[in-house]
Amino acid sequence: MKVILHDLGSEHKELIESKCDHVVVADGRYAPCQGCFGCWTKHPAECFMTDKLQRVCRILGRADELVIVSQNLYGGYSTAVKNVLDRSIGTSTPLSTYRGGQMHHTLRYGKHDLWKVVVYGDTTQAEKDTFCQMAERNAINDGFSRSEVVFLSDLAELEGVL
Amino acid sequence: MKTVFINCSPKKRFCASAYFLFLQRLFVGGQKVTVRLRTPADYDRVLEQIADAQAVVFGMPLYVDGVPSHVLRFMEEMETFCKQNGLSLSVYCVANNGFIEGRQNEPLMQVLQNFCIRAGLVWGGGVGIGGGVMLNVTRILFVVDIALLVINTVLSIVNTGNLFPVDAWISFGTNALLLLYFNLGVLFYLARMGSSIRKGGPCGKKYTRILLPSFVFILFADIFFVIISVLQGGIFRGWLAKK
Repeated sequence: MKVILHDLGSEHKELIESKCDHVVVADGRYAPCQGCFGCWTKHPAECFMTDKLQRVCRILGRADELVIVSQNLYGGYSTAVKNVLDRSIGTSTPLSTYRGGQMHHTLRYGKHDLWKVVVYGDTTQAEKDTFCQMAERNAINDGFSRSEVVFLSDLAELEGVL
Repeated sequence: MKTVFINCSPKKRFCASAYFLFLQRLFVGGQKVTVRLRTPADYDRVLEQIADAQAVVFGMPLYVDGVPSHVLRFMEEMETFCKQNGLSLSVYCVANNGFIEGRQNEPLMQVLQNFCIRAGLVWGGGVGIGGGVMLNVTRILFVVDIALLVINTVLSIVNTGNLFPVDAWISFGTNALLLLYFNLGVLFYLARMGSSIRKGGPCGKKYTRILLPSFVFILFADIFFVIISVLQGGIFRGWLAKK
């Protein structure tokens, strides 16, 4: 299953829906993670907050290919996109293992294929370097076999990279 | 010199960030102010404090290899505030993660470094701490050790009239040294960064961890989560199942 998580406006809705099996819109209309670990220890793969992200980890967890379209913010995801990722740790379990030579959590939904990040907005070289490292770390953390980062100079290029 | 310590943990109480900022404060002189950053309602109070500060120390947990989203939102506000007011204070960070490798905080540190460039601030450096949750537990264990020592002393006085039960003191001393050992790496690097903060200079990025072999750490972490999951009932609700 291909899933696209994005923070774009509704003008891109049709294009994005035509390119994947499931869309998660990061519109910022939800609360940030409270760090309670309840989605691991109390009600697995479900957040205690009853907003649109309550069960979002069940969608991201099933993605073979996850494409994240995000505006650059200091070499990382926009606040709205990062909020979705923070609320998605239920894709893993609380138990630990080694992956990529470091400690990580075991995967609730098994291994995945591609973690792809499409970045738009003004981005310095240092921020590009950070983003590449971030995506690589995310892929290992979430059990994706590879990662890819594409930097757009203009959103008109979006269709060609999805 | 004024240093503002910003506790960025979203948790209401007993957060690892508060513990590490408490330790960091011990190594910094001058005026020290600690503020909480949990919700947008905290922004004005935090910005008011940093307006006349020379240094800011962020204390935060690592979320999905980066800065937690509620802190990112604040950083955007802080960037605007610093530019509008011509601030050029130094920024430091104490980051902690649940995994044992402190180095997993590296992308978070880079994001803060990039933030400083955008906001016209001075990146002072940071300490990335692995095993933050478990190190936070050591402070509870220390309090428990003190309580046990007091109980044993009272029992000794009541039963034998002895004011100094040697066995109880040896047990307390041994446990305290063990807990101190677990925290040694953290104390060393926080003392080092404290020295840089006092001088207003850079200290670079340093990574440390609880001083335990990783396989032992993982074993304890798994036991910890099993116990919590039993107590909270998650283990009976498809704990590891695909939902």
